[in-house]
Amino acid sequence: MTIVLGAALTFSAICNGSAPRITAPPRLWVPELHLQPHLSKLHILPIRPQARSPQDELRITSQIHETNTHETNKHRRLQPPKPLLPQPLRILNNGPPTTTILLLYHHSPLNITNHLPINQLPPSPLQHPPPPPQSNPHPAPSPTPFTITTLKAPILKSTPIDLLQSRLGIPIPEMIFGDNHLTLHHTPTAYTLTFTPEPALDLVDKTGSTGLLKVHYATAWSATREKTSAGIKEVVKPFDWSYTTSYRGTETPGLGGQKLQRDDKARIPVELLQRRDPILFADEVVLYESELDDNGVSVLTVKVRVMEQRMLVLCRFFLRLDNVLVRVRDTRVYVDFGEERVVREYTAREGEFGEVKKKLYMEGLMPDQITIAFRDANQIAHLLPVVEHEVESVCLEGETGQTQEGR
Amino acid sequence: MPGLPSSVDLDECIARLYKKELLAESVIEAICAKTKELLMRESNVVHVKAPVTVVGDIHGQFYDLIEIFRIGGFCPDTNYLFLGDYVDRGMFSVETISLLVCLKLRYPNRLHLIRGNHESRGVTQSYGFYTECSRKYGNANVWHHFTDMFDYLTLSVVIDDRIFCVHGGLSPSIHSIDQIKIIDRFREIPHEGPMADLVWSDPDPERDEFSLSPRGAGYTFGSQVVKKFLEVNKMEHILRAHQLCQEGYQTLFDNQLSTVWSAPNYCYRCGNMASVLEVGENGERVFNVFEAAPENDQVKDMQMGQDKMGEQGQLPDYFL
Repeated sequence: MTIVLGAALTFSAICNGSAPRITAPPRLWVPELHLQPHLSKLHILPIRPQARSPQDELRITSQIHETNTHETNKHRRLQPPKPLLPQPLRILNNGPPTTTILLLYHHSPLNITNHLPINQLPPSPLQHPPPPPQSNPHPAPSPTPFTITTLKAPILKSTPIDLLQSRLGIPIPEMIFGDNHLTLHHTPTAYTLTFTPEPALDLVDKTGSTGLLKVHYATAWSATREKTSAGIKEVVKPFDWSYTTSYRGTETPGLGGQKLQRDDKARIPVELLQRRDPILFADEVVLYESELDDNGVSVLTVKVRVMEQRMLVLCRFFLRLDNVLVRVRDTRVYVDFGEERVVREYTAREGEFGEVKKKLYMEGLMPDQITIAFRDANQIAHLLPVVEHEVESVCLEGETGQTQEGR
Repeated sequence: MPGLPSSVDLDECIARLYKKELLAESVIEAICAKTKELLMRESNVVHVKAPVTVVGDIHGQFYDLIEIFRIGGFCPDTNYLFLGDYVDRGMFSVETISLLVCLKLRYPNRLHLIRGNHESRGVTQSYGFYTECSRKYGNANVWHHFTDMFDYLTLSVVIDDRIFCVHGGLSPSIHSIDQIKIIDRFREIPHEGPMADLVWSDPDPERDEFSLSPRGAGYTFGSQVVKKFLEVNKMEHILRAHQLCQEGYQTLFDNQLSTVWSAPNYCYRCGNMASVLEVGENGERVFNVFEAAPENDQVKDMQMGQDKMGEQGQLPDYFL
């Protein structure tokens, strides 16, 4: 059957409304695809009507089925669901949570080799089979000043979501990686700095007292709404649905009471971090993410890179509320292994959406590139004015009586 | 229509798309034009018969769409109802929507496509489909063809007069299903009104009635709303998509409403399950749960690379 569209366009396939009853043998496909030469780059394959591809078989099969509508139309699994393939990458995503633990010996690389061979420390765990899931790092045989643990698990199931929701008292973002964390632990002092989603969400404004953000079309929306459904007035339990947080990590002070304290003189030595020292370990963990009902994005991630002498953690909250504003709140944690000193720097940036767009345009970006840039905090952060900045530091060295023989 | 191919073989197109090959721009243009003609004749409320397999959000996860066919049966052996959100976020929105549209044209009564909130010009510009079209075809023409066609997609489906299917949820302006039939749907999804509500709204298990979203636009609907709607329309169940669930589906309000989610490991990082809902001839509903197709691993690096330039790729990320 042929359907003619306008004068020039013909569909040779069967596309009438009812299931065709095929009595004759299935038609072989006839080459009728006439393309203009310049279109050939789009993977148009040479036409080989004589080839019997699996798709031909499929078509024949389907037509036979169609002849007997009601019977064949029942649930049918042409192929049973596939068994799990032993592919490590797959496990990483859907299987048990992946824990990556890095024990750092900051003086002798040999020690690293003894304990956890360097060649088993993936630059990114994505490229290697993950180690078997471990919930607790084994205590090191000799003192190891710092342990870095990351955990990447799937988003929470509905029961833990309900529990979390009742603990926090607000609806939580749809992508909630409730088990994920990045933890920095200093063994001699038991000092810990960890990044997890729950305390971050706990800092979200739960009452809307700071003034709620509105989507850019909110005014227009409520104006038309009054005509149709004026009965619905209240926002039940307002909260900051943008999930803006000023989270800087959760700190457990050391045994000697060591904790981060404001230190306006401290700074993160950018020049040392700019050096291309080999990265022993790097990872990135998403804590939560919301698409804000497709009005932008709100995401909290934490990433780490560990070099031989130092490491850097960046915990970044990124909010883009389309046509309203852009927020970036960065917490950087710098650790110098030699000095056993931790510096934490918090920088909040915020800018109006239109202003950012203008600046991107001034940088010479095309409209399409601007759209892409708006998805990437790295391309935007430097364009935003700083609204808050604070530096803290703590020194963990030699403040306990614990042995330092590993050094 | 000058410049269009004089004819297009749909079976050939489908065969190529199953292999994840792109169709030429002119073929897409022809197919979209033809699909518009077909969709134009559909009501805002399409009535279908069970058995039918209902699929939630796909979001360009082409390999997982193929996995759905492998598990649920290929078209037209199995009847399918797709609840929208075919594009954006995933890496293969073009291939996904091309295949679904070709299947719709080829088997118009075997496969139904509902409009989701991502089947819109506005949303696809921010969330990936526009960028993907421009990258794969060198220009945005294909995006224009597809988004023009989206304006014709139907808004809701009723299965066997007992299950009401929609992408998002209910609207305070709609009490009876007949009120959906009079919406002028052949347009871009507006920001407000019943058409917006149908593709946007979410259920709220803690409430009885409609409430305003704190973001300043949109509604959530509660248990009494669902109950009343089902009573007024003599239906048994509301079936919708639109919300990610770790288990692949969620049932609320005393089994009066379910959410079906069909994009496993959403955005290639959520690690969630997905499901399709198989509605049997007697109205029985069975969730068939599945996880991400193994083929996704082949393009893992690409996905990460596209999502976050240079972060988890081969080069170490010397972030500051």
